[in-house]
Amino acid sequence: MTKSFFRQHQASLLTLLALVLFPFLVGLFEGASPAVVWANGSGTSKFMQGLAIEVFILAMFALSYDLIFGITGLLSFGHSMFFAVGAYASGIAIKSFGLNLGQTFLLVLAAAFIQAVLVGIVLPRVKGITFALVTLGMASVLHLIVMSTELGPYTGADVGLQGVIIPDFINPAVERLRLYFVAMTVFILFYLLYKRFVDSPTGRVCVAIRENEDRAKMLGYNVFTFKFAALLLSSITAALAGFLHTIYQPIVSPNTASLAFTVTALLIVLIGGVGTLSGAFLGAIVFRALDFGLRRYIGESASFINGAVYVLFVLFIPYGIIGTWRLKSLELKKGWEDLLKRFQRSMG
Amino acid sequence: MDTILDVQSVHTFIGQYHILQGVSLSIPRGSITALLGRNGAGKTTTLKTILGLLPPRQGKIVFEGREINGMRSFDIAARGIGFVPEHRAIFRDLSVEENLKIAERKKGDYARKQDFIFGLFPDLKRLIALPGANLSGGQQQMLAIARALVADNSLLLIDEPSEGLAPVIIENVMAAIRELSKNATIVLVEQNFLVASQLAEYYVIIEEGRSVRHGLMAELVQDQATIHRYLGAA
Repeated sequence: MTKSFFRQHQASLLTLLALVLFPFLVGLFEGASPAVVWANGSGTSKFMQGLAIEVFILAMFALSYDLIFGITGLLSFGHSMFFAVGAYASGIAIKSFGLNLGQTFLLVLAAAFIQAVLVGIVLPRVKGITFALVTLGMASVLHLIVMSTELGPYTGADVGLQGVIIPDFINPAVERLRLYFVAMTVFILFYLLYKRFVDSPTGRVCVAIRENEDRAKMLGYNVFTFKFAALLLSSITAALAGFLHTIYQPIVSPNTASLAFTVTALLIVLIGGVGTLSGAFLGAIVFRALDFGLRRYIGESASFINGAVYVLFVLFIPYGIIGTWRLKSLELKKGWEDLLKRFQRSMG
Repeated sequence: MDTILDVQSVHTFIGQYHILQGVSLSIPRGSITALLGRNGAGKTTTLKTILGLLPPRQGKIVFEGREINGMRSFDIAARGIGFVPEHRAIFRDLSVEENLKIAERKKGDYARKQDFIFGLFPDLKRLIALPGANLSGGQQQMLAIARALVADNSLLLIDEPSEGLAPVIIENVMAAIRELSKNATIVLVEQNFLVASQLAEYYVIIEEGRSVRHGLMAELVQDQATIHRYLGAA
């Protein structure tokens, strides 16, 4: 039983081990012992932990998008608003109202719920491209709100929200390793929750809705309830990713509410594999590594090359990394089975 | 005669097009009734109207003594109407077992009906873990019918069950429909008159969105003039 558990989850457990050891392994490359890394003394390790924290935040955001788009089939062009609400609500709560992290966390949950309800109001009335445009409209309104000079004292207007004082125990400048493990744990917990959700009867109905909404209705399902459940979970996840973003980044940019940021989630999901969940993590690694690597070595023109890489990705790996991998594994398995059958037949 | 479904002069529009222009049906409980007519006559639209997927603008639909027009489609389905759509409409990304489990209306429906379903369609048991997309046309049709059996439906609407299937598979599907009729009333849309005439006890002919003839199938089989006039078959 134990053996089969390890064998069944081999890839996940190895990934978990690699993530736990990652800061210490990077430290070793620099000649820093695990104790030094533990005390936040290794510069390279600290830098890489920062990149990894960004990957976890992006992966959480992309995971929430995959649930809406990849699993339930709702194409949203306004998903960034969920993230932005989490990020801005956290920053404003801490900076302007002096709330502690626990109170801020609860506020973010409440804001995510209210936002899901607001989007949920239009859900039964629109679908397909109309839903995409309605969500784009909602996100644009939020973008205008955070950019407005009237709310500048709270949101920082077009400059962005700055000067949010993060408590030392989780401040990335002081305790980055702790924040790394917190972000990693939060991401893993949400990933497991999503796996559970998708494999549950509710998740299967969401897949059925993606395939054909009318067919799901014919079976007696009130599809609104299921779409709303997916939307609520997605909204909470994206808002918590925004909460972590505020803790990690010194500035909350208005770009987090823009269409470009929704496209970021879409790209990550397309790179990793639509509807695969684990593709969100892999896609976030590729996205952040490409962005960072190209900017560092090529500079400003990196955006053009980045764009070209994504086009090539969509053209030549249309199912994303995980989707293509699964497809090829199936073909390989079928090929081996066919070969085995032929061999058995030839042996009489 | 005990009637399970009564459709009274129903008018349905798709967009601006007036598709059903007065369809009336009276379906006896426990029977198999075939809806016959040429392509585009309004047979599938009639089924979708009964299910609430295309709500009627005029007319009345009474199921088990209660008016159901105006109700939402999932509420109508939950009252005990199962639908087997045309083109073997299964969920291709879900496995055979998931396709069946998703049709549960009460927890345990699938477990309770397993023996009955796999008795009718033994192939499905063997293919239980396979994604719907990997099944052949005949197997997908069997799965589509089996899905309608998981919940306790007193009325089954079956749309074109023999469409695109090999003759030997059609025989299996017909046998399954006969078996189903022991526990449920069936309304069948079927282009293949031979199949419809062998299965159904009653018929309703729909022509250009209107129900124009109805009666006993045994009588229609003898009436070559009507068959030729409305169905183009001889």
